[in-house]
Amino acid sequence: MSELTGKQRVQKLFKREPVDTMPCFSGQGAVVIQAIEKMETQFAKIHTDAWLMAESAITSARLFNMDGVVIPYDMAAVAEAMGRGISLYENAEGIIYPTVPNKWKDLDEIDIPKDYMNQGRLPMIDEAFKIIKEEAPDLAVGAWVLGPFTLAGQIMELDILLKGLKKKKDQTAKFLEQVTTVTIDMCKHYQDLGVDFINVREMGSGTDLLSPRMWKTLVGPNLKKVFDSITLVPSVNHICGSTDMIIEMMHECGASALSVDQKNNVVETRKKLGNDVLLFGNFDPYNTLAQLEDVTEVETIIKQCIDSGIDSVWPGCDIWPDIKPANMEAYVRTVREYGKKASPAVGRI
Amino acid sequence: MPCQEDILTALTQAVIKFREKDCKDAARKALDQGVDPMIAVNHGLMPGMKKVGILFDTNEYFVPEVMLSTDAFYAAFEILRPHIPKKRQESELSIVIGSIQGDIHDIGKNLVKIMFEAEGWEVHDLGRDVPLEQFVEKHLEVKSDVIAISAMMTTTMMGMKKVIALAKKESPECLVMVGGASVTREIADLFGADGYARSSGVAVAECRKMVKQYHTFKQKLK
Repeated sequence: MSELTGKQRVQKLFKREPVDTMPCFSGQGAVVIQAIEKMETQFAKIHTDAWLMAESAITSARLFNMDGVVIPYDMAAVAEAMGRGISLYENAEGIIYPTVPNKWKDLDEIDIPKDYMNQGRLPMIDEAFKIIKEEAPDLAVGAWVLGPFTLAGQIMELDILLKGLKKKKDQTAKFLEQVTTVTIDMCKHYQDLGVDFINVREMGSGTDLLSPRMWKTLVGPNLKKVFDSITLVPSVNHICGSTDMIIEMMHECGASALSVDQKNNVVETRKKLGNDVLLFGNFDPYNTLAQLEDVTEVETIIKQCIDSGIDSVWPGCDIWPDIKPANMEAYVRTVREYGKKASPAVGRI
Repeated sequence: MPCQEDILTALTQAVIKFREKDCKDAARKALDQGVDPMIAVNHGLMPGMKKVGILFDTNEYFVPEVMLSTDAFYAAFEILRPHIPKKRQESELSIVIGSIQGDIHDIGKNLVKIMFEAEGWEVHDLGRDVPLEQFVEKHLEVKSDVIAISAMMTTTMMGMKKVIALAKKESPECLVMVGGASVTREIADLFGADGYARSSGVAVAECRKMVKQYHTFKQKLK
């Protein structure tokens, strides 16, 4: 049998069908500076141009033999489409991700425009997906959206939102339901675009910020609605930060796979959830890919992820674009070689 | 008529239970009853915030609870502050604090800020999404003892390294502390920071330790 393409490998993984080796891909941003330099462009420019966004994703994957791509790179696109503005830091030195400058400051101010899907950079991102699908049919194409709670924190001031959880419970819950509809619409839209998987990143909801009780009542139910709406493609429930106390509730939300970062105790998570659950994670991308001086240390970290019971080694967050090429190569190589053995939920050909 | 002890307890409890109105009432009562406003702050409000820091550190409180306690603290503090003679408000130590450029998250930074204010530090808050050079410019302007930088996201923390390098170049005696969700002690060391706080609850203690170690080191060199 000939070797699987990246797309096939990822698709089989999500179906829990045997693969030749562990796929190497991410649901978090994975653009690297080497791709941006090769294209002779700048980090600040790849967020606003469909071709640059698509090409930087494909080039990053090709340079390091990844199995998939994921766009966009920043988390400000939906808030921008709702009229909250965008800071691109075009004149700043180095790599700075776009942010939202004008968040709503009060629950009463919130007025989500009906046609937001056609505003800001969202149509441009759609175009980038089309380019990727045409130019790289062998790669898995991932879309990611913010979970309702994290998206709420992108369109209104996070401190007001957090206080609202205690002081204005009903109004805040209603607002979160409203934002859940937005996340669902985004997921349906990306399903229609024909992506291969959707990663829902509820990254601001770990127990570094919220109590498990609050998560259960205000985050979990909305996430479940989101995953119930993703019926055509596989989905991933990604939360970074502390997740040990909420991992079972994450699982109950119904995603095809769970993704956690380095703060999660994966061995314990496996014990709690069993071997049938697809589990992705959980290395620290900044330290592993951008800092470590010795590639054997990178190999050790990746092997530890696999040995602890991961089905696909994902970075716990966006890959910091200024990676060390040798570390990135070691990451991919180790996944390919050490990932030849079956993982808990997925067998091998 | 409530005695001083009752009023101080009311202040402490109102902060811990994040009851803003009760906290304001207790502050007014303190003034009405002639309680020294400095004592009301130091022995009423501050123990409340310290307890909140402990509750946060032990996963009994989470960020929303701490933020509401902070609001209660400030509500009472604003009532008491005008009655504290200016001279007594002068602090021995000062700090310039802000969230790094590209990071619009300032909750952690605000929690750390209040911990420093509660401990009597002079705090110069630059806000969030702060251009890198502003940290050092403000430090030079106010001659602060410490610069504290917060980054919630991995994607913004690299700016810290540049601020630290700039601070060491422009003002070698300046101590820089870093923290935030994305920052670990290893990263703090890697960036050349003088100090690191893993949470708002321990930030002031870590900072005091850092300043003390620095002065001890300087004494030994003399």
